[in-house]
Amino acid sequence: MWEQVEQSLHSSMGRVMNRMATLLPGVLAFIVAFLFFLLIGWLLSLLVRWILTALRFDERMSRGASAMAEWSPRATPSLLISRIVFWCFVIAGVVVGVSSFEAGTSENLVSGWILGYVPRVVGAAILLLAGNVLARFVSRSVLITGVNLNLSYARLLSMGVRWMILVLTGAMVLDHLALGGAIVELGFGILFGGIVFALSLAVGLGSRDLVSRSLEREAARPVEIPQPEKVHHF
Amino acid sequence: MAGVEITEETKQPAERAGSADVVVGIAGAVSAEDVRVRAQQMIQELGSGVSSLRFVFTWPGAGPEAASGDGQAANTPALTLVPYAPPAPAAGGEIWSAVSANQRAVLALADSLNARACIVIGSDLAALDARAIQLFAYAILDRQCGLVMPVYPAAKYEGLINSGILCPLSRALYGKKVRYPLAFDFAVSGALCGRLARIPAALDSSGTSLLWPVTVAATQFPQVPVGQVHVDVRHEVATGGLELSAVLGQIAGSLFYEMDQCASHWQRIRGAQATPIWGNAAEGEADGQPIDPQPMLDSFLLGSKSLDEVWRLLLPPNTLLELRRLTRMAPDQFQMPDELWASIVYDFALAYRLRTISRVHLLGALTPLYLGWVASYVREVSNLSSAAAEQRLERFSRAWEEKKPYLLSRWRWPDRFNP
Repeated sequence: MWEQVEQSLHSSMGRVMNRMATLLPGVLAFIVAFLFFLLIGWLLSLLVRWILTALRFDERMSRGASAMAEWSPRATPSLLISRIVFWCFVIAGVVVGVSSFEAGTSENLVSGWILGYVPRVVGAAILLLAGNVLARFVSRSVLITGVNLNLSYARLLSMGVRWMILVLTGAMVLDHLALGGAIVELGFGILFGGIVFALSLAVGLGSRDLVSRSLEREAARPVEIPQPEKVHHF
Repeated sequence: MAGVEITEETKQPAERAGSADVVVGIAGAVSAEDVRVRAQQMIQELGSGVSSLRFVFTWPGAGPEAASGDGQAANTPALTLVPYAPPAPAAGGEIWSAVSANQRAVLALADSLNARACIVIGSDLAALDARAIQLFAYAILDRQCGLVMPVYPAAKYEGLINSGILCPLSRALYGKKVRYPLAFDFAVSGALCGRLARIPAALDSSGTSLLWPVTVAATQFPQVPVGQVHVDVRHEVATGGLELSAVLGQIAGSLFYEMDQCASHWQRIRGAQATPIWGNAAEGEADGQPIDPQPMLDSFLLGSKSLDEVWRLLLPPNTLLELRRLTRMAPDQFQMPDELWASIVYDFALAYRLRTISRVHLLGALTPLYLGWVASYVREVSNLSSAAAEQRLERFSRAWEEKKPYLLSRWRWPDRFNP
């Protein structure tokens, strides 16, 4: 009996070792491919940055009302482009590494699934990043404009805009990742529809008297001659 | 962008005019008839004092009809009228961009005519006055100044962006005590005209490209003497439809941009030199009713309540603490210390350079703070005469000079938050 157990353990250990031995070239291939792409990405990003610096790209961009500089104020345009180049190569390195890993193991399941899903993940990550940047930019714009227009609810307005964009971004990301299916679309539709409906009710019913009184007051008010400002800023 | 060059439309009448002693250029839209009448009237008023000088008047109006039309009919040996083609202003700027573009065109034309002096005036023609022109010409031709800026009659509630930011900042940075560094009217010597016109008009982040003659003179031609003349001129600036935050953003943004470009120059300058002033100070406006600073104070308080998250990114903790202390003050005791306002503007200039946040947001976030300063200033000078208010502004400008080491320190070591 012990002999059979021992034999069985030996054979499973052998299979495990065999499996590990077949995986090792794949792992090695993954590491080599990844490091190779990392190196190329790093070199290319340096090259791109050098070329853009030689072309005075940042100065050219900063001469006009550069949208790129406004959206990413801390990074110079050339730095931003060189980083994009670098990260593209990192992602390509991972994809190629996974492929070479599976070429080494003669199985195609994982890479097939990953390769099929990677574009979605990349797209979702870009959407998430863009949504966050957009939410921050737009909410700050609304806040500053609102304060400069003396709106006491500027902060509330800015937060509302920020969350609207973030929720919209979240729904788009989930949809892009094919997670949640119809629930996301349905939930988002109900949420947005509900907000619009609630606002319509609030304005239409809740403020009916207020609006009519305001209109009557406006119609009855004599035309005012604007008073000249006493303080001149310009 | 290259410096301004004369267009073909302007070249022909300019070549016909030949040369000039003094070019008087109008930097804005105006009718040719108005220019002709006012110019002839002015030459008559000047009389024999300047009879040996040959004047050329120029205004934006070049075109087939202007080149051959009424302008040239009035030409005499002492007076020539030459229209110039108005350059297209930058897309982002409002009135100031257009004015600066025209000022550059006038300077380029004066350079091509080998003028000994060029006097640039605003389009309302308020400065097209014999006394003002005589003073400008005297300072350039007789006193050998390279650049002459105007000193307008004292008015304590007028031109507050200039009094609160432009004048003290320009003075502290470039070391020239000039009351109006961004003026509609100024005069330039023939030698400096071409250099000013040839300087590339770089666009800042808002697409604005303003001409800062004092900055250019102080940084690029420091040997050129700068003077000032008292002119009894009151400009009517059409402010209808202009938003304070937009205009403040354009003007302060342009100044911060220049500051960034000229950092190597102004870091070497210490203190401020007095500039010679000619003419007699015109009587300021009558001290009317005191102004209620409450609306401006309310804007400041709303800003401090709502923009805390933005200011936190731009200002050091000490300044934020001081601002918080200000918000707790009673309205009748509200006073923003000069040093605090100076350090706020310096910090904003630094954040503009570092692009801590979007520059559009940064300049927008300055408006409530500026209104806080205006509220404090208005409350403080409400019981002072215009002359006393000017003295108060002199002390205010000195505080900016004394605070300059703080700017230098933060500019050189921006990561050190509390120097």
